[in-house]
Amino acid sequence: MSQAVNRQIQLVETPKGKLGPEHFKLAEAAVPTLSNEGELLLRTRYISLDAANRAWMQGATYRDAVESGQVMAGGALAEVLESKAKGFAEGDLVFADTGWQDYAVVPAKAAQKVPHMEPETHLLSVYGVAGLTAYFGLLNVGQPKAGETILVSAAAGSVGSIVGQIAKAAIPDCHVVGIAGSDDKCQWLLDELGFDAAINYKTQPVHKALKEAAPKGVDVYFDNVGGDILEAALFRMNLFGRIACCGAVSQYDGAPPAAGPRGVPGLIVTKRLNLRGFIMSDFPTEREKALADLQGWVAEGKIKVKEDVIDGLENTPAALVGLLAGENRGKRMVKVI
Amino acid sequence: MSNMKSREIHLAARPDGEPTENDFKLVETDVAEPGANEFLVRNLWMSVDPYMRGRMMDRESYVPPFQIGEVLQGGAIGQVISSNNPNFAKGDYVNSMNGWREFYVSDGMMVNKIDPSMGPIEANLGVLGMPGMTAYAGLFKVAGLKDGDTVFVSAASGAVGAVVCQLAKAHGCYVVGSAGSDDKCKWLEEVAGIDKAINYKTCGDLDAAVGAAFPKGIDVYFENVGGAHLQAAINHMKPFGRAALCGMIEQYNDKAPRPGPNNLIQIVGKSLKLEGFIVSNHLDIIPEFYAEMSKLIASGKMKTEQTIETGIENAPKAFLNLFSGANFGKMLVKLGDDPAV
Repeated sequence: MSQAVNRQIQLVETPKGKLGPEHFKLAEAAVPTLSNEGELLLRTRYISLDAANRAWMQGATYRDAVESGQVMAGGALAEVLESKAKGFAEGDLVFADTGWQDYAVVPAKAAQKVPHMEPETHLLSVYGVAGLTAYFGLLNVGQPKAGETILVSAAAGSVGSIVGQIAKAAIPDCHVVGIAGSDDKCQWLLDELGFDAAINYKTQPVHKALKEAAPKGVDVYFDNVGGDILEAALFRMNLFGRIACCGAVSQYDGAPPAAGPRGVPGLIVTKRLNLRGFIMSDFPTEREKALADLQGWVAEGKIKVKEDVIDGLENTPAALVGLLAGENRGKRMVKVI
Repeated sequence: MSNMKSREIHLAARPDGEPTENDFKLVETDVAEPGANEFLVRNLWMSVDPYMRGRMMDRESYVPPFQIGEVLQGGAIGQVISSNNPNFAKGDYVNSMNGWREFYVSDGMMVNKIDPSMGPIEANLGVLGMPGMTAYAGLFKVAGLKDGDTVFVSAASGAVGAVVCQLAKAHGCYVVGSAGSDDKCKWLEEVAGIDKAINYKTCGDLDAAVGAAFPKGIDVYFENVGGAHLQAAINHMKPFGRAALCGMIEQYNDKAPRPGPNNLIQIVGKSLKLEGFIVSNHLDIIPEFYAEMSKLIASGKMKTEQTIETGIENAPKAFLNLFSGANFGKMLVKLGDDPAV
């Protein structure tokens, strides 16, 4: 262990409004050592950045809230340096919540072993949380059928960009509409990823643009943002439409909104809509099939993997702030070593 | 029979916000003689239901809008008083959507005979009819109720809510209902036998009251109301909680959609499912519904309350009372004496 210190990024203050780099600080600690059976000492390689990181600061969700004074939580691709757990050996790669630090000790049962592959960054994008979230949300929750119209928000993001491509790969004759925050991103969705239509929500009212972009209405909406765009989608949903509620990035960064979307519950009842929240880990038994499908589509060139790799642990806070502002295309991650 | 008169209620104007008596008109018509294969029905009971408010608006919905100057429609129970149709005999009791009128002639399309031995004939507009089926479909098909679930029901003493409460109790669930008066709450706890009733008008902070009633959270929410109730339910639902969205009585008279709950973000964090439904998409439940309900009625485990207005001329008033909460249980209008022949 040539590096004598463990660099850590701590959350120093729970943000009340917009998240900024000032809410974090870089600290140094001793490299932890293994003491208990069942634990692993990990070296963090790539930290996954996700809008959900911000949601964790707002209170308990599917995991405990991240409190100020703690090392910022976050999933990462890491290498096992030392193992006191059956089934794990030095040199194995795992996905685990190491937090934003160079080294971490985690219980082996909270670590998911992943295969070595090239490029290993794919383990955080298309074969990681982003790809599996896109897969389960679109196919298991949204249940699109041939010929249906599929709408996805934050479409140029890590999850959204894969949702649209899975739809084109798996659902015959579907019409895929993406919503993103710049003309460049919209052009990219159309030209590179094969979306049928794209809406820049910053330059046009979404509810109007949707009439043109989704002339037959929307059957499946993959919601990454909540708020006003969810409202616009509700008004364009077809009878028996499905909404896969994956995130609400418009609601994470700032004070809670005074009011929610109009049309809840009225439109849900009259259109008999199904809104279902989910996270990737709700579908443990289908993981193998999902990974096999994703690998097939990548190999056939039906899914183009876009990654946005930022270098250096110290840049992680700024990288998250930028992600929340929508500056990334595809999966953003931080290369630690 | 050409000299017989029927009275019926027409839609006089589309209500703007809260409906008033002026939106309705009582009209006298001649009763036609039943032709070949037709029969004449005297209505004995008719139903007024909140969903009818939606049909009074000129907009796309799950049923076509009512037309101004035409007779309204709705569930009704009547008796055949003369017949040229071999499938319907004089004296048969029938269920139809030809409410809001005293007599009608039919060829049998969309008219179903009912079995008067299953319970009082008017129960076919309530526990054994559309409201009962709505409760059943919402709980079992939409929300996937499991024995022992914790269940929250809004408008719990209404026609649908009261059946939801008692079905859930029959399945060993912990049931909390909200209603708008102490009388209704008392009925829910003492007669319908639910675990706790919340008077949402006097409880103060509804969210806190719901939280206190569900220390371990809510598995199933049966939504009849909208607004603050939905918000409170979402706040206190357990992970993987399911909500059956059946209606939103407090919002039917709104002129424009009002904002929804501001906590929908919890749908993601708790993997919740919210699903809107209409009973007519779940008619496959009918056999199991009759089987379970007739058992519960026979064993006295399905209590019913109804509020009755008498006479077709009072049907608009009965309908308006739905929105003020003046009804208790199923709201019915008695149109004639049983038997009619």
